[in-house]
Amino acid sequence: MRKLVVLVTYVLLMITQSYAQSNRTVTGKVTDDAGNPLAGVTVSAAGTTNNAISDAKGMYSIQLPVKATSIKFSYVGFGDVEVAIGNRKSVDVNMVSESKALSDVVVVGYGTQQKKAFTGSAAKVNPKEFAQLVTPSIDKQLGGRAAGVQVSNSGGGVGTPARIRVRGINSVSAGQDPLIVVDGVPFISGNLAAVTNSNTLADINPNDIENIEILKDGSATAIFGSRAANGVIMITTKKGDKGGKMKVNYDATIGFTSPGSVYQMLNAEQFVTIANEKRVNAGLATAARMSPTGTNTDWQSLVYNNNAMAMQQNVSFSGGTAKSSYFFSLNYSDQKGMLISNSQKAYRMRFNFDTEVNKYVKVGNNLTLSKVYDFDQNNGTNALSGSVASALRMLPNVDPYNPANSTGYNIQWPLLNQVGLGPNTIPVDDNYTNPLFTMNVNKYASDKIRINNNTFIEISPFKGFKFRSAFNYDMFSDYGFQGLDPRHGDGFSSQGIAFNQNILTERFVWQNYINYNKSFGSHNIFVTVGQEAQSDQSKNVFGQGSTISDLFFLQNNFIGGTASLQQSGGGYGKSGFQSYFGRINYDFASKYFLQASVRRDGLSSLAPESRFGIFPGFSAGWRISEEKFWSNSVGLKKWLSDVKLKGSYAVVGNPLGGFPYLSTFSAANYGNISGLAPNLIGNRSLQWETSKKFDLGLEMSILNGRFNVGFDWFLNDIDNLVLGVPTPPTAGIPGNSISQNIGTAENRGIELTIGGDIIRSKDFNWNLSVNYTNVQNKIKSLYTIGGTPVLTIPGSYNNIEVGQSLNYLYGYRYAGVNTANGNPMYLNNTDQLVQHNIANGAYYFANSKNDPTLGAQTSLGLADRRNLGLSLPTFFGGISNSLRYKQFGLEFLIRYSGGNKVMNVTRQEALLSQNFHNNGVEILQRWTTPGQVTNVPRLVQGQSNNINQNGLAISRFVESGDFVRLQNVTFSYSINSQRLMDHTNGYVKSMRFFMQGQNLALWTKYSGLDPENASQGGLDNAVSPQPRTLSFGLNLGF
Amino acid sequence: MRFNKFFTATAVSVLVLAATGCEKVLNEAPYTAFTDESVFTTPERALLALNGVYDAGQTGSTTLGGRGYPFGAATVEQGECRGEDMVNLAAFYQITYQGTYTPTTANNQAMWDNTYNMINKANIAIDGFKKVGASGVISATLATQYEAECRFLRALGTHELLVHYARPYLDGNGAALGVPYRENAITGSASLDKLKTEPRPTVAYDYSRIINDLNFAEANLPNTNGVIRASKTAAIALKQRIYMHMGQWDNAKTEGAKLIPATVTPLTPAATTSVIGGHSLLANPAAAFGLPGGNSITAENLFSFKNDPLDNGSVNGAMAQMLGSADLGGRGLVSISPIIWNNAGWLATDTRRSNLYRLGGTSNGTSAAGLAIMTTKYTDYVNRGDNCPIIRFAEVLLNQAEIEARLSPSAVSQRAIDLLNMVRNRASAAPATTQYTAASFADATALIAAILLERRIEFLAEGRRWPDIHRTAADPITALRAPGIPAKISNGTSGSALYGIGVPVNPGQPGIPYSDYRFIWPIPIGEVTQNPIIVQNPGY
Repeated sequence: MRKLVVLVTYVLLMITQSYAQSNRTVTGKVTDDAGNPLAGVTVSAAGTTNNAISDAKGMYSIQLPVKATSIKFSYVGFGDVEVAIGNRKSVDVNMVSESKALSDVVVVGYGTQQKKAFTGSAAKVNPKEFAQLVTPSIDKQLGGRAAGVQVSNSGGGVGTPARIRVRGINSVSAGQDPLIVVDGVPFISGNLAAVTNSNTLADINPNDIENIEILKDGSATAIFGSRAANGVIMITTKKGDKGGKMKVNYDATIGFTSPGSVYQMLNAEQFVTIANEKRVNAGLATAARMSPTGTNTDWQSLVYNNNAMAMQQNVSFSGGTAKSSYFFSLNYSDQKGMLISNSQKAYRMRFNFDTEVNKYVKVGNNLTLSKVYDFDQNNGTNALSGSVASALRMLPNVDPYNPANSTGYNIQWPLLNQVGLGPNTIPVDDNYTNPLFTMNVNKYASDKIRINNNTFIEISPFKGFKFRSAFNYDMFSDYGFQGLDPRHGDGFSSQGIAFNQNILTERFVWQNYINYNKSFGSHNIFVTVGQEAQSDQSKNVFGQGSTISDLFFLQNNFIGGTASLQQSGGGYGKSGFQSYFGRINYDFASKYFLQASVRRDGLSSLAPESRFGIFPGFSAGWRISEEKFWSNSVGLKKWLSDVKLKGSYAVVGNPLGGFPYLSTFSAANYGNISGLAPNLIGNRSLQWETSKKFDLGLEMSILNGRFNVGFDWFLNDIDNLVLGVPTPPTAGIPGNSISQNIGTAENRGIELTIGGDIIRSKDFNWNLSVNYTNVQNKIKSLYTIGGTPVLTIPGSYNNIEVGQSLNYLYGYRYAGVNTANGNPMYLNNTDQLVQHNIANGAYYFANSKNDPTLGAQTSLGLADRRNLGLSLPTFFGGISNSLRYKQFGLEFLIRYSGGNKVMNVTRQEALLSQNFHNNGVEILQRWTTPGQVTNVPRLVQGQSNNINQNGLAISRFVESGDFVRLQNVTFSYSINSQRLMDHTNGYVKSMRFFMQGQNLALWTKYSGLDPENASQGGLDNAVSPQPRTLSFGLNLGF
Repeated sequence: MRFNKFFTATAVSVLVLAATGCEKVLNEAPYTAFTDESVFTTPERALLALNGVYDAGQTGSTTLGGRGYPFGAATVEQGECRGEDMVNLAAFYQITYQGTYTPTTANNQAMWDNTYNMINKANIAIDGFKKVGASGVISATLATQYEAECRFLRALGTHELLVHYARPYLDGNGAALGVPYRENAITGSASLDKLKTEPRPTVAYDYSRIINDLNFAEANLPNTNGVIRASKTAAIALKQRIYMHMGQWDNAKTEGAKLIPATVTPLTPAATTSVIGGHSLLANPAAAFGLPGGNSITAENLFSFKNDPLDNGSVNGAMAQMLGSADLGGRGLVSISPIIWNNAGWLATDTRRSNLYRLGGTSNGTSAAGLAIMTTKYTDYVNRGDNCPIIRFAEVLLNQAEIEARLSPSAVSQRAIDLLNMVRNRASAAPATTQYTAASFADATALIAAILLERRIEFLAEGRRWPDIHRTAADPITALRAPGIPAKISNGTSGSALYGIGVPVNPGQPGIPYSDYRFIWPIPIGEVTQNPIIVQNPGY
């Protein structure tokens, strides 16, 4: 076919040649980077108004004046191509789509760099891979897509931000989240809301993102100075194409979400047996009975959504005129969470526009508006109305509903704040509340508005010189509402609570910088110098009423005068950054590269005499493949077409919030009598944490770019680690700590990325990309007490110890169950067997695992604890596959992580609770008879602490956190664009259908719901499951 | 080219302008707090700082912040749950109740951390008061009074710690290891480094410093100060209590005599008024608790910590929530134990039984198995504004009764009987017939035993039980000795059938002997790791 086209073109050319004297004709074919014909491409030439448009086969023909020397091809979404024509009559061009074009550059701070000249370390994530996924925000989908970037979704709440860590954890007590920069400006990020989880990154519509660049090493991030220690995520939004026709895209996805897994709980019959056994063993009367109606409630199935609907719709318009370009989009998404009360609804809009005022000046504006509603519930893992915590403890022989109660729920309103007893003689222990009531009736709502507006002017008075001044206003307003019903749950004691809080966070950024590049022969230099000032302001005010006069007033807002006790309060804070920066890049013949940058940051949160810091960065690269010996060697050049060695070193910082240098007195009321008391003991000499970042890397392009390999070794040497150095409680210092720059730590590791087209043919293409990261965290030093270095800061479950990974799990070593008496046993400091006598809570030496004799009394203490495993994963990565067969596409991402352990607190405190609660099925293996070998001790009502060591880590509940997850699978079909255009008279340019599955499979040995549910400290305690989503969608291009 | 220059010049000047003009974004300071330099500058702010010290005593802000540690509620709840006269029904106070403390237990840490937090706030404020007193911002008298209030709180706080973390004074005359007595403000690393060189003092040292502070307080406080702030009468009464812990009965008697008139009126108890401060018993034993609900600032209260609907121990600490009947809006977590309720020494007709207790719902429900005797001393279930009673006039009287009885070992002291009758008769339907006489007691020891029983009844649910067990665990009169932590009803036991005078009581939870390491709490882990010079109590 293609040959035929070429032949026909050739013949046509021959025919038309004779007429091309004064006005000649140039013809040719336009194709995209995959070789497919591109229709609708505008072909133009300077000095003439003649334009031509390529046809469905990509063919064009244009009349040109003789003097024309070049023609220009433009098309939305593709970079402009200008070709010198010389005497040629036929010009075929291959246009590169803009996303691909962007893949040849790296978006860095205050500019872009050619990828081949970039000597830092960055990972690019193509948002196309996840723009269509059912997701409340992009951060949740970054995992597994880039080496060195670890993303954990702790629990399945839709508003909960993901935890993103770039090259490990780079701080103990200061921030660990990367800096988020959107279109060049630091973006307000984090979990900012009064009564719900809230993710400020959800304000960005995933469909609006053109590119995500994650800057990882020192030299790439050093231009961000004091905020670079945790890496920088650069998000670039879409732009229209200057001179292009308007392009309209419509995308719709509908999905259905269910919990990835739920706990296996006891059924009613099993519960009755177990609960009564606990009580009898404690010398108490039995209390659990089977209901005559055979009630067997699966509480989990009631609090979780099955096939919860999620949908999103997105429409975007982009295009431009000769001097302007625009992109605007509208987005609506509605997503239900795992828990029946959790959901998010978002309306998002973007308008990006820029235009040339004249030859020298360009102005533009990027505006984002979003309105996000989050709905949530009590997520407290130890709260009696904590949704998951309570659902796990509810008794299966008790009905959730009771038509006889005026509320319809099985609760003891108006008498007690308790669930009905059902057939039992006593209620569920600890007064856990009916989660169906609290989740359906109580309200946790957040109404958020985000405005992010960036106005800029660029002045380019002469070639290579560009001055840019940009003013950015970012505003995040959260209006939270909490309504707690007086009839049951958290509102009962206060006879109903209505609470509102408005938090307004604002950021003003003004940037001014110059980019200048110049070439002299083979020498190229690129200079950036500039200044940036940032001022942040945060205000909040709240109002609360309790003893609400009527349920009517608990619906949407706290209504004044409806509560007998009304309270209010608020706060205000301001902070600022003032920075200067400069960077110079030099390359010689695209072969040798050098970069140096420096940033001087001033920070309002530090003492005036020490608030400025200087952060330098250096890097160098060598494209060995450009050397003569290499390019002359046919073999080398053929197999290894591009090879670059690079290295970098930089010192960057991690800033502090508040005013930790000041000792302050804040409000401390004695009842309703106003007071003031010390709330912070300051440290005037406090400085930012500094990270010395080293990176050595190798980039290789094999078989002329068919395969790419990247390898990096990195070391982040962290100094001046800020620790709230614990003070002895008898000093009575507020918070029992004073912040000091005292510790040192490091993260070292390697990253490997290999990708390429395994199969590349006309009809079938298979692209595979694999990334692997290994990162080892180590605390190198802590503070000293009286000149003696402190080597360890033990916590309840974790330990911070010099020479070890941060917060490793730390606790007693479980030695199984004494087969003769059912007591749990442990190994002490000297590996002696100790049994924990359940009856009195005391420890005794044991002769053997089979001997019931209580030996001499002993104890277990701090010294008996051991390292039970790392809480931080040591390796992680992803494998992504993209297969295309004709019009069919199949993409899937496998994500893996491991090397860490998880302390399964859910198992310890809920599933194996010794109170009058339901349990997980593991409890059926409890010790009952002498001689029985099991891991689950004897049951005794009320002895959870003695049996399970609640509140402490023990090896019995520490499990492997390794997992492999089939993160998502997308199957798509694109209608042949040519046929589509033929059928729609060219109005519809593209149409694609797809089907997706997210979190379809999880391979792990972990016995809980999901090893990813663990907190950063490695604890998994009653959080909502990870969602499993099936979705269907459509993309239309006009 | 002209335009080039124009635009270049514009660009460069904007850059320079911005670079020099934006420094002001750095000139920020806190808007929600004073700096330490600006707080002690006006009389109003000095008073605010004093209130902040009381606040630290009411609802501490460190471990278990906001739950009423140490004196907003926890002193009552911990003081009762360590003893045998109340029953822990759920998991809330189980560790305290069963004595399974470790150095990492939260309640234990909260008591220690928050008390020392209050003490340091007091010490910082004392420095500030001295400054404003010296510079004339407030009068020297007022500055000294504020200091005296702080020193009263310091003494009260340290004594609370001594009964939990140290062996009693009477065990070896204070030779045992005490707790750090902090008298200097810790505001930075210099003062902190010095503190880390100071080992645990002896119990005797602590008691001597407490007496020193209380003498200062007595000398510089007004006779009355509104109950929720320290007064001269409160300082005297506390000193009387402290001397009893020291077994210095003469000194204790001297303090008591400053408050109790030479003649008391046992048959009309409310008629006796204190020598200073105008304190007296109220006719109704419930009246000191301000029934129904609300605060209790009465003639009977010498000192209480203020709670208030706006600021209290929260649903996880406030006494009405913890100890109150579930069917009245409390959480019903701690009930009265049959051990005291069924005691025949507590008269069936005693009006306290009906006025201050009721059979109510608990966290175990409102079925017969869930019911228990619950206190109604704290009844503001919704707004949790019940003040926390620290010293009542009834205690001054029963203290003095015991002191008089002990000072008269060979003969039964009539003065002691009169003072005992003052409290007991107030709750008697027919005092003339039920009151004690000299003939009621075989000897002085029997009288003291009766006084100790009366204390259990009168102060039930007020947290006085543990200090009494602690004080008498090394009692020189062996017959009166508490055996250690007494045997108790099993954790979680409720049921209306358990209660009734004469109904047999089955203490399913064995006692812990005085010699056992668990008799006193471990020093919290934060202290022994951050300040190794503070040695751990043996056994932990």
